[in-house]
Amino acid sequence: MANNPLLVGALVTPLIGAVVALIFAKSNRLQRSLAVLTGLVAWVFSIALLAQVHDSGIQTYALGNWSPPYGILLVADSLGALFAFMVTTIMIGGLLYTFHSHDKCMTYPAFVPLFLLMEVGLVGAMFTGDLFTLFVFMELMVLASVSLTAISDDQYGLEAALKYILISSMGTLFLLLGIAAMYATFGTLNMAQIAQILLTGDRPFLAPASALMLLCAFLLKSAVFPFHFWQPDFHTTAPTPISAMLSSIVVKVGVYGILRLVTLLFVEDAPVLEPWLSVLGIIGIIFGSLGALRTYNAKRMLAYSTFAQIGFILVGIGWGGTLALIGAIVYAFNHAFIKSSLLMLIGIVASYTKIKTANFADISGIGRRLPSAVGWLVLLGGLSLAGVPPFNGFISKLALIQGGVESGDWGNLIMMVGAGILTLMYMIRAWQRIFQQNPLPGAAETKSEGDSYFAPMLMIFVCLLLGTILAEPLIQLVSATVEQIQDPNLYIEAVYPRGLGQ
Amino acid sequence: MIEFTFALAIGALFGIGVFQLLRRDLIKAAIGFAILFSAINLFFVAAGAFEGDFAPYVSNVEAQRQTSDPLVQALILTAIVVSFGSFSLVLGFVNIISRRYDTIDSNEINKLKH
Repeated sequence: MANNPLLVGALVTPLIGAVVALIFAKSNRLQRSLAVLTGLVAWVFSIALLAQVHDSGIQTYALGNWSPPYGILLVADSLGALFAFMVTTIMIGGLLYTFHSHDKCMTYPAFVPLFLLMEVGLVGAMFTGDLFTLFVFMELMVLASVSLTAISDDQYGLEAALKYILISSMGTLFLLLGIAAMYATFGTLNMAQIAQILLTGDRPFLAPASALMLLCAFLLKSAVFPFHFWQPDFHTTAPTPISAMLSSIVVKVGVYGILRLVTLLFVEDAPVLEPWLSVLGIIGIIFGSLGALRTYNAKRMLAYSTFAQIGFILVGIGWGGTLALIGAIVYAFNHAFIKSSLLMLIGIVASYTKIKTANFADISGIGRRLPSAVGWLVLLGGLSLAGVPPFNGFISKLALIQGGVESGDWGNLIMMVGAGILTLMYMIRAWQRIFQQNPLPGAAETKSEGDSYFAPMLMIFVCLLLGTILAEPLIQLVSATVEQIQDPNLYIEAVYPRGLGQ
Repeated sequence: MIEFTFALAIGALFGIGVFQLLRRDLIKAAIGFAILFSAINLFFVAAGAFEGDFAPYVSNVEAQRQTSDPLVQALILTAIVVSFGSFSLVLGFVNIISRRYDTIDSNEINKLKH
């Protein structure tokens, strides 16, 4: 087994960046430049890795040259590499946003290091080959994002952060309990080895229980129906670039975990779990869309919308066919880009009020003071999120619907498409309120300048380019990914060849 | 016998931890969180520590004695570090919240509710 240094590069670069940024705590500008530079380097690593995985199969790195099952193993299969590419790309957008932002919290010396640590946690969770390291990286990500929300300019950020850390720690506890149960049953934590044992047909007593505990922890991380209540508060009160990251890529860690569970670890139990995922997804779509329709705050609307969009992805995973999985992954990919840029744009709108609020009562009609490009970008993003042709949202929805037709689950398919129309309703209504109306009496005072719209503009163009013009190669890439993850033997052979170490 | 005692202790700690975590008093909730983590650490110990009678040194392994599982202990060390980090973060938040809201009753910290 050859060690591929690109894996360590993508993981360690942001870590080094975080440490060096702490050394330059005095100069904000230097910190931010360093962060963007680090993000770019990690991005180059991840894109090179994606190309290599696509060309020559699964790449691994045994840390400290301890061969599995003893050491910590980093694995990039095509799913992990694709998600890591998504994470690093969107992180660059978030880091660029901090450059031209006037929020007070971004001048704190800990802001940039925490941001980069969040990236380490995210990339690490995508690349890790054993369950315990997954727990460590997820906890790193949670602690970094909670701290970032607690120092938010929004005065209720701390309350939301406390709420989330208690709930999320409960989820982490169950993840750890599931991992302990796995270890007690299988005597290993290496995902490939566990999958290998499970594939031989052995059903140890604790295996279904630990599958359920892991599933609940991942559902909590991606805010799916019974575990969603913290999400709108937490995503609304976070600082703008952080809420963009939370709502786009941090929730995708849960999606990634669920995909791993149903395609690698518990392939045999997947038919039992999948219908439940579909049901939870449909509930999420309907209630998330209704919540977004009637909420009072634009950022909160987008947070509810994330709750709904994760539902779409879960329905795709729940259908479980080849086309449905392709649809789910393409959807996850496109949603991350659109949602992060929309949240940044709403953050820009909010930054034009003196108290930085995104309440509709205060930001109605504020659009006339903003550069007109912001209005067009919000409209573009909203249409894309709703899945209007020819934008990328349409392509991901089409891929998902194809999966639904293939699985023949017409009831869920009709409910999903019907509830999807609500997305168009709330996005258009929000756009009208912000950019078309006259200001309401009693609205908050406005400022003449706010954050720059450079970063979200870049993101929207990248996502339109990737999702619309380059849709064909993207779908091909995802098809190759699904082909690879549907055969768990490929992963097992690459990571833990039979007979080795036994 | 020791495994049965362990199971009892883990169950009791889990119960106490969940009960404390659901208290209205935030400091008690934070301590319940620490108790829960100890319960899980004990569960990890129970998963591998009782297999052998000897410490997992190289000399013991070479002498072919039945050693206990060293990996669980390494895992617990990491889990303790992680849980300690989150626990101190929770306590820090509670500290600032108690100053900002003049209470640690979670029913009164409800400014986010509309």
